[in-house]
Amino acid sequence: MHILLRGREIANIKQLDVYEAHGGFAGLKVSLAMKPAEVIDVVKASGLRGRGGAGFPTGVKWSFIPQHEPIKYVTVNADESETGTFKDREIMEENPYQLIEGSLICAYAIQAKAVYIYLRGEFWDIGDQLDACIEALREKGYVGKNIMGSGYDCEVYTHLGAGAYICGEESALLNSLEGYLGQPRVRPPFPAQKGGGLYKEATVVNNVETLANVPFILTEGAEVFKAIGTEQSAGNKVYCVSGHVKKPGNYELPMNTTFRELLYEHAGGPLHEDRAFKAMLPSGGSGPIVPLTDEVLDTPMSYEDAEKIGTIIGSASIIIMDETVDMTWVASKVTKFFKHESCGKCTPCREGTYWLDKVIDRILDGRGSPDDVKRIADVAENMAGTTLCALGDFAANPIIHTIRHFPDDFAQHVQAQG
Amino acid sequence: MSDTVKINIDGTDYEVAAGSNLVDAAKWHAGNDIPVFCYHPKMDPVGMCRMCLVELGTPARDRATGDIVLNDDGSPQIRYFPKLQTACTTTVSDGMHIKTNTQQVIDARNDVLEFLLSSHPLDCPICDKGGECPLQNLTMRHGPQASRMYFEDKQLLEKHYPLGDLIFLDQERCIQCARCVRFQDEIVGDDVLAFHERGRRLQIITNSDPGFDTYFSGNTTDICPVGALTTADFRFGARPWELTDVPSISPWDAAGENITLSMRLDRDFGGKALIKRVMPRQNELVNEIWISDKTRFGHHFTRSDDRLVTAQIRTGDALRESNWDSAVSEIAQILRDAGGDVAAIAGSGMSNEDLWELRRLMEGLGSSRLGAWPPTHGGAEAVAEVGVGFGTNLGQLGKGDAILVIACDLEEEVPIWRLRLKQAQDRGAYLVVANARDTRLEDFAVQGARNDRVVEGDAVRYGAGEAVGVMRDLKKSHKKIAERLSKAENLVIVAGAEGLTLAGSRALAQAARNFLAESGHAGTRNSGLLSPLPGANGMGLHYLGFRPDASLDIAASPPKVLLVAQAELFDDDPAARAWLSQVETVIYANFFDDGISEFADFVLPLQTFAERDGSFVNGERRVQRFTLAQGPVGQALPAWKLFGSIRQEMGMSHLKPSAAAVMLEISKNVSVFEGMRYKALAQVKRQFPDVGGRDQYYGGTAYTNTGGVGIQIPAIADDDKKLKPVDLAESDDVVAADGEVLIMPIMRLYNRQRNFRPSLLLEPRILAPYAIIHPADAQALGIIQGDVIDISAGDSIIRARASVSDEIAAGVVALPRHMTDAAAPMSICSGAISRVAQAVASAD
Amino acid sequence: MAIIGNPKYEARIDHHLAKYETKRSAVMPLLYIAQEEYGWVNPEGIEEVAQILNLDPTQVKSIAGFYTMYSERPKGEYWLQVCTDLPCALKGADDFHAWLKEELGVEEGGTSADGMFTVEHVMCLAACDKAPMLQCNFHYVENLDQNKMRDLLAKWRQEAAGASNGHR
Ligand SMILES: Cc1cc2nc3c(=O)[nH]c(=O)nc-3n(C[C@H](O)[C@H](O)[C@H](O)COP(=O)(O)O)c2cc1C
Ligand code: SF4
Ligand code: FES
Repeated sequence: MHILLRGREIANIKQLDVYEAHGGFAGLKVSLAMKPAEVIDVVKASGLRGRGGAGFPTGVKWSFIPQHEPIKYVTVNADESETGTFKDREIMEENPYQLIEGSLICAYAIQAKAVYIYLRGEFWDIGDQLDACIEALREKGYVGKNIMGSGYDCEVYTHLGAGAYICGEESALLNSLEGYLGQPRVRPPFPAQKGGGLYKEATVVNNVETLANVPFILTEGAEVFKAIGTEQSAGNKVYCVSGHVKKPGNYELPMNTTFRELLYEHAGGPLHEDRAFKAMLPSGGSGPIVPLTDEVLDTPMSYEDAEKIGTIIGSASIIIMDETVDMTWVASKVTKFFKHESCGKCTPCREGTYWLDKVIDRILDGRGSPDDVKRIADVAENMAGTTLCALGDFAANPIIHTIRHFPDDFAQHVQAQG
Repeated sequence: MSDTVKINIDGTDYEVAAGSNLVDAAKWHAGNDIPVFCYHPKMDPVGMCRMCLVELGTPARDRATGDIVLNDDGSPQIRYFPKLQTACTTTVSDGMHIKTNTQQVIDARNDVLEFLLSSHPLDCPICDKGGECPLQNLTMRHGPQASRMYFEDKQLLEKHYPLGDLIFLDQERCIQCARCVRFQDEIVGDDVLAFHERGRRLQIITNSDPGFDTYFSGNTTDICPVGALTTADFRFGARPWELTDVPSISPWDAAGENITLSMRLDRDFGGKALIKRVMPRQNELVNEIWISDKTRFGHHFTRSDDRLVTAQIRTGDALRESNWDSAVSEIAQILRDAGGDVAAIAGSGMSNEDLWELRRLMEGLGSSRLGAWPPTHGGAEAVAEVGVGFGTNLGQLGKGDAILVIACDLEEEVPIWRLRLKQAQDRGAYLVVANARDTRLEDFAVQGARNDRVVEGDAVRYGAGEAVGVMRDLKKSHKKIAERLSKAENLVIVAGAEGLTLAGSRALAQAARNFLAESGHAGTRNSGLLSPLPGANGMGLHYLGFRPDASLDIAASPPKVLLVAQAELFDDDPAARAWLSQVETVIYANFFDDGISEFADFVLPLQTFAERDGSFVNGERRVQRFTLAQGPVGQALPAWKLFGSIRQEMGMSHLKPSAAAVMLEISKNVSVFEGMRYKALAQVKRQFPDVGGRDQYYGGTAYTNTGGVGIQIPAIADDDKKLKPVDLAESDDVVAADGEVLIMPIMRLYNRQRNFRPSLLLEPRILAPYAIIHPADAQALGIIQGDVIDISAGDSIIRARASVSDEIAAGVVALPRHMTDAAAPMSICSGAISRVAQAVASAD
Repeated sequence: MAIIGNPKYEARIDHHLAKYETKRSAVMPLLYIAQEEYGWVNPEGIEEVAQILNLDPTQVKSIAGFYTMYSERPKGEYWLQVCTDLPCALKGADDFHAWLKEELGVEEGGTSADGMFTVEHVMCLAACDKAPMLQCNFHYVENLDQNKMRDLLAKWRQEAAGASNGHR
């Protein structure tokens, strides 16, 4: 059953009349009949956790918004820039109204003045489509003044980024939306607090997938949602599979599904039958890499189970590598990503990503020494935990974990230098 | 809520001010210098450099009850953050514990330094900051022993990137702390610096036109924690450790910025001590740690080749070089013969000591004609009466307070006041700017004038010359504004003289005085009147009995013998030639000859502020000392010594041995100076924020104040708060004659005054002569933008380019003074405009 | 032309200015408009955006420099951004990128001699299941191989020879 990727079942659900015919805006209608605080309670009870990476309980986040503040905002994080992630894109391309409906429910629950959808700049065409959707909704009274006759007013806008992964980090996103450099802010104050959000007002920042779950929760009830998945990871999750599998793509599955089921039953197994899986990055470039052992394959893809195997689910961008892949090269690829995306604001990340890249290049070139491997492990350790935002930690992960799990891949490049 | 909280630093409890920043609190109370690069106590924390990481814990609270969890021994249980936290972004809270000396913290500091050094050039021996560089110091203390970064991996970047004509950036040295960017944005309000690109390519740029070009740009080089920003003035000029720091006071304006002159013996200066650079000296009450670029880069006049160096005496048509002995004895003779028909005009840059000796000389001769020059501003009397209350600190103005700035352009007249008042506005003070034209400060009083900055303020525009009426009738004509001003907790009024005559500016100051008296603000701390009196010692002139009206009176009925000291009559007064020709003997003492030598019988060289001791009274009535720093030029003497010698020659008194001795006498004879001996003036208490000292995290060593913070003279209202309104001084409205317009002189910070022109760096920045003319007037006279026009009024004809703009009213021409060699009118007057030549099509 | 006073952009500029609480927020959409008008974010564009938003040009330049989708140098008619990030690279994107550069005779970030194509590699574009792929003037082209790419290049060349392109 699809909650999110409904475009796969219902043709043309991206048209408003089709969406309405299939229960569209029932969730918003239910919500508008409730008190805002009751809506938050339902979302809390559902156990929905943020799909943007950190997995923070969504209802709890909404409840942090100080109700007495006169101005509040919702910003939808549609920056989707994590290496290997492409789920929000499909939701917005194929099922855009559901995202907007979810955003409006959130907006009503916190009594927001407006919703800003922050799209990564490359989602230019999606932005155009969403703008058209918003216009269609305005005409039908779902957006703007007196939504569905409830007396509640709310505007929805899109905003295009322009090529900066860091703008997915919520405070950098807010800076970018305000026309400043997309660099993270000092916290506290947090976005949910006065002074920390958009235009210094209390603001909810939620991922696209998170919000797209919300209409279902309101129509079907929290219990139905909670019953899906595991104890701590309720609901379905869209897993983005890429790399060496036969059928890469998005798969929406309950969060108690195992990696084995995803990779073999849905994604069709190894791309090349004769090559074994070697390693997996389950959360794009930012999470710890794991060797694809049987133990790992049999682990359910939930927040808590991923932790048990030393990694994270994060945004569930699952990159699969077979035995032909050199992990030193992987470390270099991912490091280049973070070097390119480091915003430059804080020292360890700015200098560390640059330095790591230089040394890994040297190792890949065959000019490195075993000392260099130690050096990058050490530099990465020094970055971790000292940066202003999590990007610095993300950047340290690939180095630390590739070296930990695949020391031979590094040794082979530096042996000659020994 | 209590005013203090208890925090624990490395095991010791300290009682610190609630709401204070952890870095500041640790430094102030525990003497614990948490290392920082990006943090600066004058700016909002940004947590960028990560140098200040500490272990941070707070009392644990029970999730259910919210109560503090206790240990077995009854002490609160401290829950530490799993990661190190940046102290600079932490506000102290009760029960907070921090550890700054654990291995984890030591490692983190080491690591951050290693990261910074991984791309920083190791060129300390040739770096301008070498010796006073936080990065260098911290590396010595906390840094790695050797770099593990391969040398060839370092980025090669531009070493001499000009951000403007004044400031250069060494991109390799920049550590991206953003202090300069934030200074320009937060403190100055001119966001002309920014980062470009991102990650390791992040660089400081400016894309403004002209580039990094504000009146405060030099301050960025002080707060830059490495040698990335250097001034074109000091770059490669000397090594910081060769310099001797001498405390001084800015000679330029009423702010009285505290400065340090960094001196070095210089071969090109005959082996004598020479000013290598001018640095701010911390005085939180006056200039905090900032100075204007004029103060920083304007010092070259002190060693200009044009300085007067010998005493000259007229014989017949010619001046001949002489010596002090003959000059003094001849002057004494002339004064004796004058039969009391003598007068003196003293410039506003003269020290109290000079003024005292001059006054005594005149008194000895039986004359009370003591003129203050230039006779443009009549506000000193009112400032003495209701000037800002004792202990006022403009840095404390903020929410609930109000500021009215009327009839002046502070950016151009007293830039540091504009800086501090703009910041008061940032802190929430209500700012009203009233003038007859656009001025820079208005940008901070009008919502949307610049950026989306939220401002609390109003702008009042009036016709030229109407300032007195506006101030007097504010309650009627601008009811809402007047109400907000009256009801403010503190109210500072800055009243100038733009668009006014001398009498008009006096009346304006009185109207402001009445307003302050009625609102109950007079005589209270952080409230009162300021006036941008010209020069560094406008208030000193007043307290020592020199009056601008006396100057007008001297011009109207010239004496037989006139002593002109440190006043450029020719440069200032278009009528000077006419009335001076009626004076029998002119005795002229100054740094430069402004052309008066044509009339003078004696031309005598004086020492500038850099070569001697002395004191000034600033616009907040603070008496402040400056000290001998630079080697002498020629035979120049301090003015007090010249007048003292004449008195001695005439048998009036012995020459005092030193400026200190003169001040001692002043303190005994002039009641407002009671107790102000040099020693007392030189006292310094520890100031917050603690930016000097050995840690040097916040700037160069020269911030440290070793010269004293001065002593404020109480305002009359401080003792007598029940002031009655006074009737305003008579001041006729100036109206334009038939077919003429009103000529409204205005001031530019960078102009062609004698002592400014020699500034090597700033001279090219002086604008070509221009006059602002309203489009309607321009059209009527067939003038277009850029045309050459003549502006004539009385004895003055100024040739300038027309700048056509509706920022002034029709019927008014705003004419900057001191932009040409010819003197422009000193005060508002009627005059005529004529077109001389067509605009030359310019390249753009 | 210019963007200020250009009827082509008037409605869009107004729309963006109306969207936000502050003018400054509109700097990103307006930079796209400047880029559309001039083909790159040139000094004139920066000046105009600064003027519309009442910002110092330095601030606008700073924003243009931070984000990779604003080009501060002129580009070819077709700006081809090939994703070579890890997932695409696992599917041969690096080779595809190298081939494309050779095919067009350009260096990384360079523009073909005829001014038609600029080629550069970019980080993940959220199309990892459709590698190799690229973005041409901000529109996605996916599941590429050398044959498909040759056809596309030919088509674009033809297009350009006809009317001026309407891609941006
Ligand atoms: C460097 C960095 C990049 C991020 N990128 C994204 C992103 O592209 N999309 C997203 O939804 N969240 C991203 N996040 C997480 C957001 O900061 C934030 O936690 C999330 O939008 C919250 O929404 P959620 O609670 O619905 O997950 C990123 C975080 C970091 C530190
Ligand atoms: S960790 Fe990297 S991305 Fe995050 S603030 Fe620091 S420099 Fe910017
Ligand atoms: S991060 Fe605290 S001083 Fe820079």
